[in-house]
Amino acid sequence: MSPEAIGGWMLVALLVTIFIGFPIAFTLIILGLVFGYWGFGDTVFNLLIYQVFASMKDQTLAQVPLFVFMGLLLERAGLMERLFRAVELALARLNGSLYLSSMFVAVLFGAASGIVGASVTLLGIMAAKAMDKSKYDVQMSAGIIAAGGTLGILIPPSVMLVVMGPVVGVPVTDLYAGAIIPGVVLATIYAGYALIRSYINPKLGPALAEEYHADSKMEIFWEFLKGMVPISVLLFASLGTIMAGLATPTEGAALGALGSLVLVIVYRKLSWALLYNATMKTLEVSTMILFLVAASNFFGGVFSRLGTPEVMTQALLSLDLPKFVILVIIMAVIFLLAWPLEWVPIVLIFVPIILPLVKQLGFDILWFSILVAVNLQTAWLSPPVALSAYFLKGVAPQWSLGDIYKGMMQFMVLQVVGLILVMLFPQIALWLPRLLYPN
Amino acid sequence: MQQQRDSGLMKAVRAIDAISTVSGHIVAWLVLPLIAIMSYELTVRYMLNPTLWAYDLSYMLYGAMFMLGTAYTLRRGAHIRTDFLYQNWPVKVQAGIDAACYLLLFFPGIAIVFWISSDFAWRSYVQDERSVGSAWMPIIWPLKWCIPVGSALLLLQGVAEFLKCVQAFRTGKWAEGHKSLEEIISEEIAEEIKK
Repeated sequence: MSPEAIGGWMLVALLVTIFIGFPIAFTLIILGLVFGYWGFGDTVFNLLIYQVFASMKDQTLAQVPLFVFMGLLLERAGLMERLFRAVELALARLNGSLYLSSMFVAVLFGAASGIVGASVTLLGIMAAKAMDKSKYDVQMSAGIIAAGGTLGILIPPSVMLVVMGPVVGVPVTDLYAGAIIPGVVLATIYAGYALIRSYINPKLGPALAEEYHADSKMEIFWEFLKGMVPISVLLFASLGTIMAGLATPTEGAALGALGSLVLVIVYRKLSWALLYNATMKTLEVSTMILFLVAASNFFGGVFSRLGTPEVMTQALLSLDLPKFVILVIIMAVIFLLAWPLEWVPIVLIFVPIILPLVKQLGFDILWFSILVAVNLQTAWLSPPVALSAYFLKGVAPQWSLGDIYKGMMQFMVLQVVGLILVMLFPQIALWLPRLLYPN
Repeated sequence: MQQQRDSGLMKAVRAIDAISTVSGHIVAWLVLPLIAIMSYELTVRYMLNPTLWAYDLSYMLYGAMFMLGTAYTLRRGAHIRTDFLYQNWPVKVQAGIDAACYLLLFFPGIAIVFWISSDFAWRSYVQDERSVGSAWMPIIWPLKWCIPVGSALLLLQGVAEFLKCVQAFRTGKWAEGHKSLEEIISEEIAEEIKK
């Protein structure tokens, strides 16, 4: 059998074993070893150790534990609640105002934390009760919380983009710059949809009850300031220093982690239990991602050495489909894969397989990466497997799971609209990085 | 007799779990020096001169952290799996499939990693190998040793996980719940705010 065909069988074996439900990292290692040995013998062992050790020496990936740690601390600092109340006060008279304040907080904290479960839970705790009291529409409330919570994996600094950088060979700073506007566009589409519908039909999101109105304009201003200043400083320290080139990504991430530690101390939330919990969770979250990075780098190394990606690329090119049709097919496949799979295996396993094809077709890799990132938002919005629904149900038990699903589906459609916009207008993703980093 | 054998089996499981937990508790704290070193480097670079050692130390801490932490992550059941089919199966089927996967996929693969990486780390140690890409030229073998040590801990935890499958296959229920990390974090936040 030719090496290329062996690679093909390796891919088939992977698909089957992934769906059995055994941890993917272990499966990747043994499949890489077996099929690699079959294809090119002893060299596979050198490839194994080389790829694993290279993953351990990739210093930009040190951002992963740092940003995870920052996110885990911030969730407990009570900053998000404060900001939410301030925006709530400011907008109390507007129809659908809670939708807008949820989305505003989600965007800012999406920047700070990439842990979807935590964002959805916190947003749910803060917003669900107020939404119920003001007789908001359950489906739209659930949808906006789930959609907002998911933005965290797209809006930089994002762990997903850190992991994607080495896979696609694009500096993580470019990815950060590229993801900001698409993230804001998605948030605007979500909030705009909810606001327009509440404007047309005020029953979906009436103005708030009298008890939520502020006493004076000054009160609103102060509350808003107190909510905004800490998070702005923190975002400047981490994302700002990285994008301005003042700090390397890893240094910026460390500064963000340090800053969130300072905030937790200033807000008098620091306790031994909190620090211990955040540290242990950081290890778990980062290890589950990074061990999979190492394993899939090895798997990918074996796969490309067997020559299968080239053969696949040539075969797909020989179909002679228009470029754009191939892109649409790729996006559709990712969309479907995101139903059962998390973003981690898709970014680490699927993206490298199709990357040669994307390069051959001459697509801008940065633009393509952002399309993938926007597309992967669905991974958390697709019922019935999306965990977001269960997180939300956990903190808002009065909402039925059926309503939550229906709400999420609406926002999944909006997310596809956002994806199509970035496909049709690449400038949404490319304008800012080209402006900041002309080379 | 059955009772006794089971408790012996679970004793071994608990002992291994404890080893992995201790290793996790040590390794997890590496994130704090990582924060400190990178923040320090950023500060002194603008005020004085950059350090020679911060870059090397940062990837060493990061690399050691995830390689030595994988056994703990396995013990916590946090390695990513696709469970949308798996979660609907009866416990005995789950346990049977898991046990088979440990025997056929996990042990051979990780054992080879252990074997190859031991040789890799040993050769580096004997040569007192240094990192040539840096002006500081630190010794690199301690980082290389993290691979065999981490995979040995992982193999050990794999034994415990395999025994848990055997136990679940016999009794028809898992000794501890299967929850994803995101679920645990979500529940903890909800509980804390209720207080």
